[in-house]
Amino acid sequence: MSAGAQPNFAPGASGAATPTIPQAVTRRYRGGPRRILGGLKSAPFLVLLALISILSVYPFIWLISASFKPQSDVFDNRIIPEVWAWNYDDVFAIAPVATWFFNSVWISGLGALLVVLSSSFVAFSFAYFRFPGRGALFALILATMMLPTAVTMIPVYLIWNELGLVNTQYPLWVPNLFGSAFYIFLLRQFFLGIPRDYFEAARMDGDNYWTMFWRIAMPLAKPALIVVFVFEIQAKWFDLMTPLIYLRDSALFTLPLGLKTILDQFGQGGGGQGEWQIIIAGTVLTVLPMLILFAIFQRAFVHGIATQGRKG
Amino acid sequence: MAGRWKGRVLLVAAAALLGLTAASAAGAAPAATTSASQSGTLNIYGFGPGDDVANGRAEYAAAQLGRGVTINNPRGGFNDQAFLAMLASRNVPDVVYMNRNAIGSYAARGALVPLASCLRAERIDLSQYRAGALNEVRYRGQVYALPEFTNQITLIVNNTVAQQAGVNVNDIQTTNWAKLRQANRKMLRIENGQVTRIGFDPKIPEFFPLWVKWFGADIVSKDGRTPRLNSPQAIAALEFTHSLIRDHGGWDRFKAFRDTWDFFGRQNQVARNQVGAWPMESWYYNVLADNSPGVDITAKYFTNRRGGPITFFQGNGWVIPRGSKNPGLACKWMKAMTSQEAWLKVAKDRFDLRKRQGREFTGLYTANGRADVKIYQDIFQPMGRRNFDEAVQKLVQVSRYGFAVPVSPAGAEIRQAYLDAINRVLAGQQTPRAALNQAQREAVAAVRRNSR
Amino acid sequence: MTSVAHSTTVPGPRRGARRSFSRFLRAETWAAYAFILPWAIGFIALTAGPMAASLYFSLTNYGVEQIAGFAATEYVGAANYRQVLEDEKIRTSLYNTLFYTVLSVPAKMAVALGLAMILARLLRFAGFFRTVFYLPDITPPVAIGIMLLLLFNGSVGIVNTVLGWFGIPGPFWTTDPNWIKPSLVIMSVWTIGGTMVIYLAALKSVPRHLYEAAAMDGAKPWRQFKDVTLPMISPALFFTFIILTIAGLQTFTEVYTAYFGTGSAGAESPDAALMNVVYLFRQAFEFFNMGYASAMAWLLFVIIMIVTAIQFVVSRRFVFYQGEKR
Repeated sequence: MSAGAQPNFAPGASGAATPTIPQAVTRRYRGGPRRILGGLKSAPFLVLLALISILSVYPFIWLISASFKPQSDVFDNRIIPEVWAWNYDDVFAIAPVATWFFNSVWISGLGALLVVLSSSFVAFSFAYFRFPGRGALFALILATMMLPTAVTMIPVYLIWNELGLVNTQYPLWVPNLFGSAFYIFLLRQFFLGIPRDYFEAARMDGDNYWTMFWRIAMPLAKPALIVVFVFEIQAKWFDLMTPLIYLRDSALFTLPLGLKTILDQFGQGGGGQGEWQIIIAGTVLTVLPMLILFAIFQRAFVHGIATQGRKG
Repeated sequence: MAGRWKGRVLLVAAAALLGLTAASAAGAAPAATTSASQSGTLNIYGFGPGDDVANGRAEYAAAQLGRGVTINNPRGGFNDQAFLAMLASRNVPDVVYMNRNAIGSYAARGALVPLASCLRAERIDLSQYRAGALNEVRYRGQVYALPEFTNQITLIVNNTVAQQAGVNVNDIQTTNWAKLRQANRKMLRIENGQVTRIGFDPKIPEFFPLWVKWFGADIVSKDGRTPRLNSPQAIAALEFTHSLIRDHGGWDRFKAFRDTWDFFGRQNQVARNQVGAWPMESWYYNVLADNSPGVDITAKYFTNRRGGPITFFQGNGWVIPRGSKNPGLACKWMKAMTSQEAWLKVAKDRFDLRKRQGREFTGLYTANGRADVKIYQDIFQPMGRRNFDEAVQKLVQVSRYGFAVPVSPAGAEIRQAYLDAINRVLAGQQTPRAALNQAQREAVAAVRRNSR
Repeated sequence: MTSVAHSTTVPGPRRGARRSFSRFLRAETWAAYAFILPWAIGFIALTAGPMAASLYFSLTNYGVEQIAGFAATEYVGAANYRQVLEDEKIRTSLYNTLFYTVLSVPAKMAVALGLAMILARLLRFAGFFRTVFYLPDITPPVAIGIMLLLLFNGSVGIVNTVLGWFGIPGPFWTTDPNWIKPSLVIMSVWTIGGTMVIYLAALKSVPRHLYEAAAMDGAKPWRQFKDVTLPMISPALFFTFIILTIAGLQTFTEVYTAYFGTGSAGAESPDAALMNVVYLFRQAFEFFNMGYASAMAWLLFVIIMIVTAIQFVVSRRFVFYQGEKR
């Protein structure tokens, strides 16, 4: 945050990859008007940054610190625990957390990969082609987002039940084979931003549609694809409702679902002792992988980003 | 519908009988067999990863069923959406563990099997269970569940606060409302416009039915078909409890202060003298004993206008869903899980464990009255803290006086109606009378919608 | 700017001609349909049926008994819809939902854009801050709820303390019906990591040379923002505008966890926080009036459709796609 305000014309810390397209733009323009906004060393923005950072991080810090406290101190709101307790062993002892973790990884990863591929496939169509019914179909896709899932939950369940796939993990990721309205919409927007010239040029070179899609559109939409991938992993990872109604065997559970069952049993009330420290430790275990995932991928948003539409 | 079920029971009994005569020469009574000749699969739902009390009993019950029985317990908790999905797919588990306040709804909608035949077949004596708990799961005269846990309510009085405020602990009681209000006023503290100590927390909206019961009245008629949310007693109960909160300067300040409590921790509101007294479920004594055993408290009954103790219960129960493929085994399982033997076993284990850990054992309140008493007499040992020892004694006694809000098909909506009404009153948007009148209207509409 | 859309390699008229013939270029049409196939299959298999079923249920007395097959599903015609229109709670919930959405969507977009712009210019520790700002999105509601109660506590919360420094008496955010929705809006603004990331990706995609060109033309920073940044990221803005609105109108999890969960938390269920989908969920899974809930869902569906259609029409003027002629 300390570096000077002048535009940095050399590839810098944030890692802009050397673009593969014409020289005219290899200099990395720091991306924006030079003014107060660009001059990040100006105090107000540092303060703002710090404030927002604290706000963003605080509950997470609270969570982590609470996971190291004994039961009696969980809610004492101290950042540094007075008494340190190692609760993570208990979590693993109580429940098959490792299994749940792997289930979550498998379902989330697979689902995310599938949805990226299928959604971009469909999105390309809406972005590039002109065809009768385009508007109507797109509206239909949007419409599927407008019905609250609560009401289609039972009928959808019955479909899977007919297929005999209840209490398996299939209902959790198979739908990702068919794309998702949200991502189709998002990717369409990104594809629309690709200048048609690229495609026209390819057509003239005799490329077929698939090649245009795979060789041109996809690489150019990489930042968006990564966004979709990360979003979907997280959505699947934290999803509670779907695993809840389809999975009965604890061995098939995903992490949040497992966590919820722990919560139900160990929260207060019928026999439970309010062992919040275990629940919170379990929660941290659930969140940490997603944090790491995002930390890894956020760089990729930046890498190779300046490859889109830079014809001079 | 009852006819269909009878037919099914006869079928099961006949099959069992046939199986038995085929398997052994000794003609046993139908279904009341020993574990040796048990076989089959029992699918359990809703009984998730549990603590020692749950697991110990599960072991015992499994042993009762015998090695021939395969027990499928996926160890997930109960969830309405999942259960509905199971009902929809006609693939229900054999026995289900759920919260008793949900049981009424399902029972009233015919999703559960009345236990009459099960009780007969296994010779289960209902009188061992707390009447209040059974009434929570009784609909149209039929019992639908075997209960676990009562979580009965007593007043927890902070003697230190009473002393500081110059209030006689005897005056902190619920029989005489005028005295209670006085005590409330004396014990509460307001500094700089902020509440710094709560005098008496009436715990509304949660405990509203308790306050109405003070009059001997219920918020719903016995058959569950007529809500009585705006009866004079209900209105009076709300007015009084609201006045206690108003004395603190209003709900906003009251709740804002209450939200700052370290409820489960060492610096809890009793240890820090932040509250004079309030009605609370039994499990909280555990929290206190673990975290702040030195507190000077008195446990008192919540008493009605005539001075008699009253409480309602919260807890779980075992039910047999309609369509269960193995109601016989389900019945055996439930019986074993809620039996005196099972409870005694886990109570002893827990007591021993706690003794080793140097923690108090504040009793186990099982909804099986005989187990409760036996645990108290045989297993519980005074641990030298008079406060907690006396609390345990009261807790064991008060369960006798448990009552239940009558079960109604529109139960959930009726509850929501009065919750909303009370919240509106607390927020200052309506008077108790107007709010409860509205609640009554909503409840009546709900009952009408649900009558079939 | 529009120079970008021009191509020097493809003669203009050809594109124009293509446009009018495109409908009849069979190959293209069939290819288009082929690309859509994955979604279409999924739609027919997993979506269309259930949607139709829910529409059907909305016309019946679908409840637990019907679900489980103990009693017949009876057609009740428009009775559910009539009730929906008469239900006071529905009006309350719709008002709450609209209020919340109208406030939170612009707020979220503005804040997310601001953050994204700051992040786009960060010289150091960009990755760190990106992760930090994204954290709220993956923090579980448990922790958020607790933090909320702490921060927004009317008596001792930090928010009111800070307001107090400026002589502003802070309201009781969590209990005062007038302030519950604003506190929900603030909470929603806090979790904008996703939106921010989308804007960041879009900002990074804006061709640098456009800024250079504009700067060379002497455009001031604000003009650059208005004439370069905004149009170039308008597809992303449009997208998030639509999505956030649809999501806002369906808001459920945060509100339910904070104010309506089962257990004693649910006892304080303020009408002021009752969102449409929360009420719907209640009706479906706590009161078991599935038919009624389905009717509510379709009502919400219609509302969202209308709102979205309006948004599309209005946005047509403002959204600029590089790949299309305007």
